[in-house]
Amino acid sequence: MDSSSEFSRHNRWVYPGFLGLFLLIGLFAAINPPRTFVFADSDAALKETARRLAERVAAIPGLHGPLRFEWHPQGNWAEGEGTRWQDSLRDAFDRRALQLSDEAGAPALAVYAAETPSEVVLTAKTHVGDRDEVRIVALPRSLLPPAELRVAPVRLKRQLLYESSDRILDAAWFSDGEETYLAILLYKNFDVVAVRLDPMGQIQQTLPLNVAGLKPTRDPHGELVFHGSQSSARLWGKTCDFSWNSAVEAKCRTEKFNMPGDSAWPADAVLTSPCGDANWTISDPGGEPTARAVLRLAPDGATQSSSATLTSEFPGPVLNFSPEQNSGGALLMVRNLSTGNYEVYKISLACGD
Amino acid sequence: MRSIKSVLRAAISAALALVAAAALQAAPPRFGGTLRVKLRSSRISLDPREWTPGSLNSSDSRKIASLVYDRLVTLNDYGQFQPALATEWTHDATFKTWHFKLRAGVHFSDGSALTPALAAAALQSTSGKNFEIAATEAGLTIHSLQPAPDILEQLASGNDFIFRAQLDGKLLGTGPFLVAEAVPEAPAEANPLATKPARIKLLANENCWAGRPFVDVVEVTLGEPALRQLLDLQVNRAEIAEITPDLVRKGREEGLRIWNSAPLVLVALRFDDALAAPASDSLHEALWLAIDRDTMANVLLQRQAQLAAALLPQWLTGYAFLFESPMNLPRAKELRASFPAGVAGAEQALRLHVDAPGDLFKLMGERVAVNARQANLLVQVAGVGSANNTAAPSDGLHLFAWHYDSLSPRTELETLLRQMPDGSDLGANAADPEQLFAQERRLLEEHRILPLVVLPEYVGLRANVHNWNGSPWGDWRLADVWLEAEDTSSGKAAGSTQKENMPARTPGANQ
Repeated sequence: MDSSSEFSRHNRWVYPGFLGLFLLIGLFAAINPPRTFVFADSDAALKETARRLAERVAAIPGLHGPLRFEWHPQGNWAEGEGTRWQDSLRDAFDRRALQLSDEAGAPALAVYAAETPSEVVLTAKTHVGDRDEVRIVALPRSLLPPAELRVAPVRLKRQLLYESSDRILDAAWFSDGEETYLAILLYKNFDVVAVRLDPMGQIQQTLPLNVAGLKPTRDPHGELVFHGSQSSARLWGKTCDFSWNSAVEAKCRTEKFNMPGDSAWPADAVLTSPCGDANWTISDPGGEPTARAVLRLAPDGATQSSSATLTSEFPGPVLNFSPEQNSGGALLMVRNLSTGNYEVYKISLACGD
Repeated sequence: MRSIKSVLRAAISAALALVAAAALQAAPPRFGGTLRVKLRSSRISLDPREWTPGSLNSSDSRKIASLVYDRLVTLNDYGQFQPALATEWTHDATFKTWHFKLRAGVHFSDGSALTPALAAAALQSTSGKNFEIAATEAGLTIHSLQPAPDILEQLASGNDFIFRAQLDGKLLGTGPFLVAEAVPEAPAEANPLATKPARIKLLANENCWAGRPFVDVVEVTLGEPALRQLLDLQVNRAEIAEITPDLVRKGREEGLRIWNSAPLVLVALRFDDALAAPASDSLHEALWLAIDRDTMANVLLQRQAQLAAALLPQWLTGYAFLFESPMNLPRAKELRASFPAGVAGAEQALRLHVDAPGDLFKLMGERVAVNARQANLLVQVAGVGSANNTAAPSDGLHLFAWHYDSLSPRTELETLLRQMPDGSDLGANAADPEQLFAQERRLLEEHRILPLVVLPEYVGLRANVHNWNGSPWGDWRLADVWLEAEDTSSGKAAGSTQKENMPARTPGANQ
């Protein structure tokens, strides 16, 4: 099995076939307000904040290097997140000619990082002569990239395909006969939007469904269904038919679908192993919406408590599951509890360790 | 192709329904039921214009009002501002002028439309003179005399709800519930010497723009004593109840599910203006150094409070850790020895007025008196006040409780200072955290306000309450709560041992 799952902000997008997602992010961020999509040049905000702090520290009268840099994150910061901040700060201090040193005897320049409800606050504290000097800067949390995914090492291959601050109702692969696309159904600001990504992960199309008479809900759910060139979005109380290749607006009709209370984990939540063709059943991760989901897979014939069971922790509750046709894999929709974003993962089994 | 999946899914869903229903954790959301909420405040107001800044009563009022009214924007647990009645917003380069586009098709509970003029009028009445608010064709414009980069924090918290005042003075909202009944406190029929507590009944707003809430009814009972609330949870007479810090340990030991917010209530001492400097400066500092906050937080409040050295809490500013409150009894005694004759606190007792309600605050006042005595300072507890920060203008010292209401540190500190006798103001650049820190440090160095401890809010939850996702800053978000059906939850109310402490960086999520 492939022990994948080490995602970080640096390497998240460097997966074969999904390099294009990076371009997609830029494109999507450009056509969406930055408040609703989190990838708008996030490094720039971080670096700019580090620059502002370094500028203020460098302006402290009588402060001379070398200084011993200390990093004090408050609470449970992800390791990768802290590293990025430290790298940016060191770089910013360096550009301001503030020499940093690892020598224990050097005066300390301590930087404290804390999150408030809406901001990240950086506080630099140092001692000059007989006085403490404090410099503080802040930046909106919404301008930062999502925290590094802290996932347990697992023996399950998984890839993060798509991420959005808008609720993802469903995701599924579909083919127009020539290319295979990833379709995403979003609940965006109380409207439903269908998005099509090409095989490189770039947004090809964004289709607001403009569903007339769709009652707003606190429990949005939906499903994409494909019939040849036609696609349908089955929503609560409505079903909308639309075509990706036509400019005609979606046609919606009243139709009850999967009302709250009758949903259940699908029995076809199965992954097929490419080595031996064994089917592995994924049991219902269950859990409250405030808990990280642990996916448990057991091969046919084994119980869920068997030693053959695979487990994989996801950064939040699993909201939906969509099996892939013919590949033995599946798409999993998850809410990331660290960032609040909705994510689509491709999960599959791989041979070997 | 995927339709096959749908058919399969539908076919097996019925077979799995029983299993899913039996598995509590996998249960899907359920609409319906009555959510019974018990509050300690004996009287609340649903008119934001009547709320007293920082008061404990007003914070209870705000919790219930948030079920009836909406805001322009909200803040989620991930630091992202979310559209509510405003769908978009922009600001100029100076952060002085902000434009908000109002959501179309939103109606008040009587069916009348929400208009920019009504929204502007509501906001103008709650935001005071800091802003000039004007209706535009599609929304509203807020103009501030000073740069207001924190305006979204302000609008997402505090009193800035959108409502419509009717001719009879009652207010209508666009929120997930509407007020069906408000019964004031009255003598009990069976025993006129006893009183029946005030009650408010709220019904689900079927036409709420953001979707109908899960529960049908919210019944709020006011004026419930702390111990009674605990009992109500245990004997299935309440789904949600406030728990006082001194009862948290008992509740947990008895298996109650208890959630806590970030520290939301500052308990502090305030000197009034009657004492003249420089003698008063030494008195302030001596008392500051004499108080044993550690014992107060860990013994008196049973580790359910945190020491406070700052006026604003760490979770709100990110810099409160820079302040220290070193207890230094020898130095306090030294200062006391230098007092000139006739200074209050020396030969003549300094009267300590407890302006916050309840025995707990009185005990804290008595603890202050004990600490003062250890430094040879005479402090005498005089009286206990109300929950509305309406202290009698007595000379001497006041122990008060301040509920943090705003998500903007600047607004919070400004409001706190305005409630002080001399009503000082913050500087123009106080939105900058470094400037705000400097202002707060200056205030603390004056020792006219002495922070003691900060307390979280504790909420007891029955086991049948699902999707509870209170925010660290105390929003209860009851519209998203749903109740497990009674027949499957009976007997579980006091049986759960789950404790819901808000993790610092991974708060709960739901939508």
